[in-house]
Amino acid sequence: MKPISKQSSITASLALIALLFGMNLAAAPEVGALAPDFSVVDTKGEIWTLDHLKGQPAILEWTNHDCPYVRKHYDADNMQRLQRKAADQEVVWLSVISSAPGKQGHVTPKQADELTASRDAAPTAVLLDESGDMGRAYGASTTPHMFIIDAEGKLIYMGGIDDRASTDLADIEGATNYVDLVLAELAAKEPISVSVTRPYGCSVKY
Amino acid sequence: MPFLNRLLNQLLIWLLIWLLILFAPAVALARAPADGLAPTPSGAALSGAEVVTPHLTARLLPEQSRVVPGDQIDLLLVFDLQPGWHTYWRNPGDSGEPPRLSWTLPEGVTAGPIQWPYPSRIPVGPLANYGYFDQALHLVSLSVDPDWPAGRDIPVELDVRWLVCEEHCIPESGQFALNLATAAVASEASAMPGDPMTAVLFEQARAALPKVLPADALMDPSGDPLLLRLSREGLPAGIQELEFFADAWGLIEHAAEQPWRLRGDWLELELTPGATPASVAPSGVLVATTAEGVRAWEFSASVQPLLPLADADAPALGLPLALAFALLGGLVLNLMPCVFPVLAIKLLGLAEQRDLGRAARAWHALLYSAGVLVFFTLLGVALLVLRAAGAAAGWGFQLQSPVFVALMAGLFLVLGLGLFGAFTLGTSLMGLGGGGRLLAENAPGQVRLDRAALAAFGTGALAALVAAPCTAPFMGAALGYALTQPWFAALAVILTLGLGMALPFALLSVFPAWARSLPRPGVWMERLKQLLAFPLFATTAWLLWVLAQQSGPSGLALVLTALLALVFGLWLLETARQDGHGWRRGWSLGLRLLALASVLAALGLIIQLSPLANPAAPAAGTGQAAESSHQLSAAPYSAAALESALDQGRPVFVNMTAAWCITCLVNERVALGTAQVARAFAEREVLYLKGDWTNHDPAISAYLNAFGRDGVPLYVYYAPGAKPEVLPQLLTPGLVVDALTTTSATGL
Repeated sequence: MKPISKQSSITASLALIALLFGMNLAAAPEVGALAPDFSVVDTKGEIWTLDHLKGQPAILEWTNHDCPYVRKHYDADNMQRLQRKAADQEVVWLSVISSAPGKQGHVTPKQADELTASRDAAPTAVLLDESGDMGRAYGASTTPHMFIIDAEGKLIYMGGIDDRASTDLADIEGATNYVDLVLAELAAKEPISVSVTRPYGCSVKY
Repeated sequence: MPFLNRLLNQLLIWLLIWLLILFAPAVALARAPADGLAPTPSGAALSGAEVVTPHLTARLLPEQSRVVPGDQIDLLLVFDLQPGWHTYWRNPGDSGEPPRLSWTLPEGVTAGPIQWPYPSRIPVGPLANYGYFDQALHLVSLSVDPDWPAGRDIPVELDVRWLVCEEHCIPESGQFALNLATAAVASEASAMPGDPMTAVLFEQARAALPKVLPADALMDPSGDPLLLRLSREGLPAGIQELEFFADAWGLIEHAAEQPWRLRGDWLELELTPGATPASVAPSGVLVATTAEGVRAWEFSASVQPLLPLADADAPALGLPLALAFALLGGLVLNLMPCVFPVLAIKLLGLAEQRDLGRAARAWHALLYSAGVLVFFTLLGVALLVLRAAGAAAGWGFQLQSPVFVALMAGLFLVLGLGLFGAFTLGTSLMGLGGGGRLLAENAPGQVRLDRAALAAFGTGALAALVAAPCTAPFMGAALGYALTQPWFAALAVILTLGLGMALPFALLSVFPAWARSLPRPGVWMERLKQLLAFPLFATTAWLLWVLAQQSGPSGLALVLTALLALVFGLWLLETARQDGHGWRRGWSLGLRLLALASVLAALGLIIQLSPLANPAAPAAGTGQAAESSHQLSAAPYSAAALESALDQGRPVFVNMTAAWCITCLVNERVALGTAQVARAFAEREVLYLKGDWTNHDPAISAYLNAFGRDGVPLYVYYAPGAKPEVLPQLLTPGLVVDALTTTSATGL
């Protein structure tokens, strides 16, 4: 039993009140609080929940392979570079597809695996959130939209991949990449300096 | 004929302009994207000042054909969009990207920022964007240095990158080039008038630019909801629709509803805070729709803590009056079907305490009242916490949780069976039966916090718990008031409500005269006890009906199975208790463990109810129970349905109801279900909208809040062109018909 921080005990008591009164505290996810729980199947048929991530940090990447903003980061090997870096640091990387069936970016498990192979991507798993429940729980609004969770399951970063909202590959060079920043701070066990930024990209196709 | 001459001149100029347009160099298209794939951003070739892509046509237009050095000239970048496609405002909202302009200008010429016409909100599933459909106009001013040699043309080059979206998004770009002629004096510049079509576009762009707000704007970005308050002076009267567009991401939740109301000298919008409300400038654009048309203002609000305002448009309810209402409401709560049985049980306990001293009685009464008040305090605090957490908590919301309903049904069933004598309920269980006797064993005046005291306290809390969902008349107004007040006033109102509820029993406990007139204990008490089980069973039946509304047949089956397991477990316990004396210990223990497993299984089943909650449950009153021969046909309430009916000038009657609301059901039977009312509705073609609050629904909560209410029933009649009229919470057919006939267009 780890000691419960003040923040999480407040969250827990709020959750308890919510439970008691049967209210859904449909609050947006909050940095410093427990990340929203989810239960989503990956392309291999495994079910992932927040509990699976306990013990090591995790990065959630909302993606849609047809979105020009996503293509920018994959065509430049920028997203794959971050995925490999996360793997080296033993950080779980989950690519989440919340496109509803029939909407742009919706893929079968097989197509998702082919995309991963063809783009040399290296996520730990690709989650297929067809219902959009996980996306809505996190308030994922764009592709890409990045969420980073620490080893205790607390949300430590949410927002854009970097600070240059464009589809232009040339903008990757010289941009402040927030995922790099958080990974470096995690490795150095330093506090996270930037925790909320504006996500940019295409809208998630719920 | 100077007039004819002028006309001919005009015609010649027109002809020239058209020839120029027709024979402009051909345009190269941007590569069309393969289906579902975005193209790499591709520049469309230059055609002077027009770029055509499959999704829009972009033009760069100067307002005049010449500019005087030292002066300014306005340029307009126009996107004519294909149907269904949109581009973005400076804050694109949840996704997307505004157009980016990069100018290449000679030394001495500078371009200002884009001046943006007000945007519209574009819903995308659960998200929202800010942008433009059909046509997007971007106005930019160029300043020319006074030293620029008159007569030398100004080469203007513009590189634009934009994102254009339908469901999916395509990044595009285009280059534009213009040569601006210069003139030494203004008269020469205006001697060549621009094209009249261009003039119209410039006029449209300027008309849609937000004006500076001529009013004070205050914002409290730390609050939830995030309050934006504008002084009403300077704002037009008769605002029908209002929308606030934040300048930057992070201030507000773009897709959230923005309920607003007029309060005294202020207009107040309730916004949902975004991810970083405190670190974003509190500025944006307000767009109002009035009968005269659409107006837009831009402003930067001053940040300050805002206390809730009294609702000046509703009859103001002062604190003393609210407290009086609360007390009255609390008294009435005692007569509610969901609390009366508990009181009856208490009265039974009271009948057993005839030989108690005044002090012990007072102590008992005090503890009972404390139980009631502690529950109300907890509820009040929870309500305030939830209010702070932004959850629209309404009175009676516990009964919106199927799990809670099922647990209450189980509790009442067990209590009823206990009264029936099916099993002996321990005195630990809410002080039933034995509570009074235990208290009697205390010497009068010797006060200890023992099981009896706990029992009295527990009964109070239980009574309060089951009474809460019954919104009695008077209560709606008092609570609506409480929730708009600072925390201490809100708590005072809620506690007074509790006091009103505890008072009758407390008085009954303390007044010996009353106690003396109670009959002597005897066999009748056992019968009475059994008789009192029936209201409890009735409550169980009612709760199961509510549950069926919430969770459907499968939920009901689940709960009935759980109740079976629960009763079976208690029967096992009773068996072990009564027959277990001569048994071997292991046997008895095994039976008890089995009983425990059975009860736990029941609880496990009930917990599973939460995902079964059926938001599409039929409204109360469409069920069998409220069937009547004159059932008005109701459409489900939605803000959109209400709005469109009002736009068509159709009268609307809104009924906010819930399956667990007794008052609502009574009203629907005795008033709304009568032939008289049905006729009145039919004659005026009144649209009957019914909102079902059986399960929590934020849209209905927001509607109730707009009328300062926290519970159902709420009846509102909208006569065409008049202010909405709120009807009383207890209806008669005459009241409803009167409302329909007397409300006329006086509100405007």
